[in-house]
Amino acid sequence: MVLEVHNLHKQFKGKEILRGVDLTVGAGEVVVIIGPSGSGKTTLLRSLNFLEHADRGQLQLKDQQIDLAKPTKQQVQWVRRHTAMVFQNYNLFKNKTALQNIAEGLIYGQGMARQKAEGVARAALDKLGLADQADAYPAELSGGQQQRIGIARATVLHPEVILFDEPTSALDPELVGTVLNDMQALAKQGQPMVVVTHQMWFARNVASRVVFFADGRVVEEGAPADLFAHPKEERTRHFLNSLAENY
Amino acid sequence: MKTSKIITTLLAGLPTTLTLLVAAFSLATLLGIGLAWLNLRANPLARGLARLYLGLVRGTPPLLMLLLAYYGLPVLLKTVGINIDHWTRLTFGILGLTIGWSAYLSEAFRSAYLAVDPGQLEAARASGISDRHAFWRIIVPQAALLALPNIENLLIGLTKATSLVYVIGLYDLYNQATNLSNQTAGVDQLKIFTILALGYWGLVLLIEAGFRQIKKRTAKRIA
Ligand SMILES: Nc1ncnc2c1ncn2[C@@H]1O[C@H](COP(=O)(O)OP(=O)(O)OP(=O)(O)O)[C@@H](O)[C@H]1O
Ligand SMILES: [Mg+2]
Repeated sequence: MVLEVHNLHKQFKGKEILRGVDLTVGAGEVVVIIGPSGSGKTTLLRSLNFLEHADRGQLQLKDQQIDLAKPTKQQVQWVRRHTAMVFQNYNLFKNKTALQNIAEGLIYGQGMARQKAEGVARAALDKLGLADQADAYPAELSGGQQQRIGIARATVLHPEVILFDEPTSALDPELVGTVLNDMQALAKQGQPMVVVTHQMWFARNVASRVVFFADGRVVEEGAPADLFAHPKEERTRHFLNSLAENY
Repeated sequence: MKTSKIITTLLAGLPTTLTLLVAAFSLATLLGIGLAWLNLRANPLARGLARLYLGLVRGTPPLLMLLLAYYGLPVLLKTVGINIDHWTRLTFGILGLTIGWSAYLSEAFRSAYLAVDPGQLEAARASGISDRHAFWRIIVPQAALLALPNIENLLIGLTKATSLVYVIGLYDLYNQATNLSNQTAGVDQLKIFTILALGYWGLVLLIEAGFRQIKKRTAKRIA
């Protein structure tokens, strides 16, 4: 296993948002999390890299076993250096160019020499066909371009796992495809990832496993073909039906 | 009176005006950063101290601040055994303006800091970048740019406020003009003060041009 979470609990102001979540990500696995709005999907991802602090739970990442409720500073930093995140609103560094955005984590997170890091960043932009945008600031880029750079920024770190929180939700419909393509290519390279998304196409075609999440816990999970065709739980069926009505 | 005579007389006050402007603004910037930092602490004592200072200073007219610095501060410090009687008028002028503008600037810095989108700090953390690096490389540069319009206004405000130092007997542009006007029993008053006004306008135009350049070159980094 690349990542294993056990019995994760989190409450906000006395309200229990995560109620004992178990989740695993194996080598090369793409785990797609689907579920209703407000069920705690974002909170779950953010608890894994300590952007939120869990009240209880165990995290196993590589060979490290970490108490999510009482991590040491070193553990927090270690987890963040071995994971990466792609945000709904991209969250690119606005005062940095596309190239610098990708290089920043390599230099200041992983201690790579600046020149080497910029070489890696340039190669990543080349591969995406965005080489001519290397010196553009985020404000000069479309949402789709920003998100593709956000993905490159995460990818070059070669993290154990990349956490995606609705990476296409803020995009104009015609730009969604470019971002999903990048993610599919990444999946093919064997990059483990956890993806929260409402893009059922991606869940059906790219996921190794789909997790249905509701009310702060995993309701059921399985291979996409099984889960979409034969959901076991009433709750899952209901959710999938509500999606079908909307499309 | 010849225009050239008026101009040379007024120019004799320019070094004082510029010294006050540059010195007070630089010191106020440093003090303002410190105050903003205190004010953003979670510690209620630190925040309370900063807010007390800001409240008192922002409620004091700049002219009164100069008078208090010049007449009040030596008396106050003497009670704790510090003698500053030998300080020059210019030092007191700088001090009075510094105190005032440190408070205004600190609010400009604080609000700019709070205006930087916190999502970028999270993105830095998620990339394994330490908070210290994120602060200096991502947050501070953007906060500085966001604060520019306020900084510009405050610098222009200070340019005009330097004219208040006549109350402590300093001969800046303004006091030179008043002095000259009095010498001629007010005959050339309008001419003198028109030239004086042109001098301040020139300074302000220079400041505006400088800020326009900076903003033009950096606009893309905070949009
Ligand atoms: N910082 C916070 N303080 C208080 N409540 C919060 C906070 N963050 C999230 N919540 C609450 O926790 C619940 C779960 O939120 P979360 O964003 O994790 O849901 P989600 O499944 O990602 O929803 P969506 O699909 O809309 O993104 C919501 O009821 C939300 O209001
Ligand atoms: Mg969410």
